[in-house]
Amino acid sequence: MKDLAGLDYINLRMGSWLGWQIETNWTNLWVYGLYSLARPIASTLILVLIFLVVPQGKLEHPLFVYTYIGNAFFMYVYMVLFGISWVIHEDREHYQMLKYVFIAPRKMYYYLAGRGVAKLAITTFSVLVTLAFGIWVLKIPVDLTEVNYLALGSGLFLGLLCIAALGVILAALSMVTAHHSFYLTEGIAGLFYLISGAIYPIDVLPGWLQTLAQAFPLTYWIELIRRSMNVPLQSQVLSVYSWQELFLVLLISTLVLLIASHYIYRIFERISVKYGLVDRLTNY
Amino acid sequence: MNPELKTNLKAIWGRAYVRVVGANREPSWIVSETVLPVLAVAAYVYVYRALNPDPLFTSLVILGGAMSAYWMNILWSMAMQFYWEKEMGNLDLYMIAPISRMSILLGMAAGGFFFATLRAIAIFVLGIILFQAEFVVTSVWKLFLLFFLSMFALYGMGMLFSSIFMLFGRGAWQTSTLFQEPIYLLGGFYYPVKTLGAAVAALGSLLPITLGLDGMRQLTLKSGKTLGFLSVETEILILVGMSVVFLLAAYYSLLFMERLGKKEGKLSLRWQ
Amino acid sequence: MSYAVQTKELTRTFKVKKTKKEGASEVVALKGVNITVETGELFGLLGPNGAGKTTLIKILSTLLLPTSGLALVDGLDVARLAPEVRKRINMVSGGEHSGYGILSVRENLWMFSQFYGVDNDIAYQRIDRMIEVLGLSEFKKTKIGKLSSGMRQKMNLIRGFVTDPKILFLDEPTLGLDVQISRDVRKYIKSWVKNNPEKTILLTTHYMAEADELCDRVAIIDQGKVIACDTPSNLKRLLRQEAVFHIEVNLSMENLDRFSGIKGVKNFAYEHKHHVGKTELKFILESDAAISQVTDVLRQDGTRIISLSKTEPSLEDVFVALVGKGLENES
Repeated sequence: MKDLAGLDYINLRMGSWLGWQIETNWTNLWVYGLYSLARPIASTLILVLIFLVVPQGKLEHPLFVYTYIGNAFFMYVYMVLFGISWVIHEDREHYQMLKYVFIAPRKMYYYLAGRGVAKLAITTFSVLVTLAFGIWVLKIPVDLTEVNYLALGSGLFLGLLCIAALGVILAALSMVTAHHSFYLTEGIAGLFYLISGAIYPIDVLPGWLQTLAQAFPLTYWIELIRRSMNVPLQSQVLSVYSWQELFLVLLISTLVLLIASHYIYRIFERISVKYGLVDRLTNY
Repeated sequence: MNPELKTNLKAIWGRAYVRVVGANREPSWIVSETVLPVLAVAAYVYVYRALNPDPLFTSLVILGGAMSAYWMNILWSMAMQFYWEKEMGNLDLYMIAPISRMSILLGMAAGGFFFATLRAIAIFVLGIILFQAEFVVTSVWKLFLLFFLSMFALYGMGMLFSSIFMLFGRGAWQTSTLFQEPIYLLGGFYYPVKTLGAAVAALGSLLPITLGLDGMRQLTLKSGKTLGFLSVETEILILVGMSVVFLLAAYYSLLFMERLGKKEGKLSLRWQ
Repeated sequence: MSYAVQTKELTRTFKVKKTKKEGASEVVALKGVNITVETGELFGLLGPNGAGKTTLIKILSTLLLPTSGLALVDGLDVARLAPEVRKRINMVSGGEHSGYGILSVRENLWMFSQFYGVDNDIAYQRIDRMIEVLGLSEFKKTKIGKLSSGMRQKMNLIRGFVTDPKILFLDEPTLGLDVQISRDVRKYIKSWVKNNPEKTILLTTHYMAEADELCDRVAIIDQGKVIACDTPSNLKRLLRQEAVFHIEVNLSMENLDRFSGIKGVKNFAYEHKHHVGKTELKFILESDAAISQVTDVLRQDGTRIISLSKTEPSLEDVFVALVGKGLENES
């Protein structure tokens, strides 16, 4: 077990190192900085403009800070989820070295998670830039001295574990789908965007979608993040939970997902080996 | 028929065949190209509904979401395609074949257009069914003209990008991701582009899809005219110009970039 | 006189990016290469990895521009008249992974034929005939992602021939293939040239036996320069005055440099066979008498000679004589 644990850590570290190399060594620092700034700010400004175009809309609307904070942290969901699941396609079709990682005597699960760590680091920069832009340029009412950093830190940590587990599940699915399932990952991220209440309270969703949203761990995660940052507006549906209860729900669901992701990954890994899909090329 | 024209037409069909057949043999696209794209669009519908129940905004988002399918296709299936082909080892074979590079790209475009249209229709139809989005077409022929001109200009732009990305290293991927959200911002996919102000809207109008979408909104949404940046007729004229400019630019850019690639030895260079 | 392929002082350099400390440098891949290939010839380009063979093929197939000099294919300048050149050529590389995994063998071949405007009927006729000849009939409807590398390379070869090019460039066509499949491939190449005297093949390889077997003429290239160009038998005659000896010794030897200094040794190569604890030495000597000097040196350090034989020079021997190393090792 000690050896196994040692190997897993190595794979996690190697995956992180490789992920960082792939993400960053394609250009110089300045271009990379611009790239890292442009995307989050553009994504933020889309929301700003949506608020401005509506007749009653303005940035002082209480929904704006609610949407802004949720959207900022949702970047983790998209980037880490996509980052982990895309590893399968990238390594299989582009670099054609997935099979070599696969047959190595290490757990690929941790390699995948490690590749997600690099995305996590990069996304953290984007999230911080977005928050800074919101607080200092758009003047959203977030007082950094009033933030509950314990709730924020612990909630963020759990949420990221949850996202990583979901990413590994998507990666497992990617092992048996073709190259175009880049759109599958986009679609799943879209589904999460819809039901997590990232940019609106889940109260606005129809009843059946609200039920789905309440069954989704990241809904509680984003609500927890907002509460820790003292966002005044709250979802009526989720207001029945204290932040400790939100944390507990998130903790339990994250643990369940982590365990499930291990098993789901192994199932799809077996399927891909059975049908010889590990090194197939499907790009067209 | 002129033998060169015949060869190029065959090349277009040959390359399109891969995309068409590929779709049929990997049916997972059915879900990823029809149902899932609606979800991200739906999120923006609900943001608007949380702010203002006017159904105009729902329709605006649905139309923008539908057209975003074409932008995604241009970015990921056109602009990146020669880069992918290089990585797969096919680019060399395309380069030594006695055909225009545009024929290969047109073949890819034909296949890609099919998928993008499927995606757009799915967003459109599901948007009407699920969100009761309302559309009233005031001029069918102008709508078709606007749509097809946008497509000519857009796919011309895609070919132009393809020529540039051909010589990129891995930065091609990052560049494509960089063009996603900022283009959604500048293109006014989820709000009227005139909200950006005249100067920025003019900048955004360098993208064919911005003007196409703006015009289509004016022709299909109730009170769509109030949302327009320029008149539909002006937008049609500009798109005619853009179609010519982008297609010509793509032609010359492909020649130039190929020559540059051959000079620097980058045409076959993989994993950079 | 019009040649199928002709190069005049052909040179190609590449800039190599290094770290900021080292700065950029230049690699000269081809240096003043002059070759002519006649129509109907099966011309070989023989050299080790990094000699410049693929660079030359890429220039001739219009994938790369020369830095200086001239390259003509069917009398056409590859730099200025690339579109015209492409109508006359095709290329197959060894170890190629081209094509689309989602399509079958037949479909991939048909698709590539369309880039050359081949009519469907003719394309399918050629494809089916070549599939039959190369033993791929069983796999013609198999998606190429499921093929073994040998089958894949056969498919690649068919792709090169199906367009019926005037000049075909084969860049290490048997790379990584087993003996039987390599034999099938070579047999097909030979028969194609024999049955089509107006067609030309330029083949690169680092397998000497392949060049010896297939080629009408061979150019030996090393470090970007053509150091000899003639028929295989004429090249071997270069060594007629020299003796070629093979010696097998019982140890993995170190300090092999001492053999270069022996009087009468023109050149030598070696191959360590670690798994059996032997080293095979090959000496090209100015005369038979020099062998005694070599055996003296071996005996001095107590090395046991397992076998010693004199052979007729092969193309490999010519290569060693000219280049100073075998293709399997560096010395």
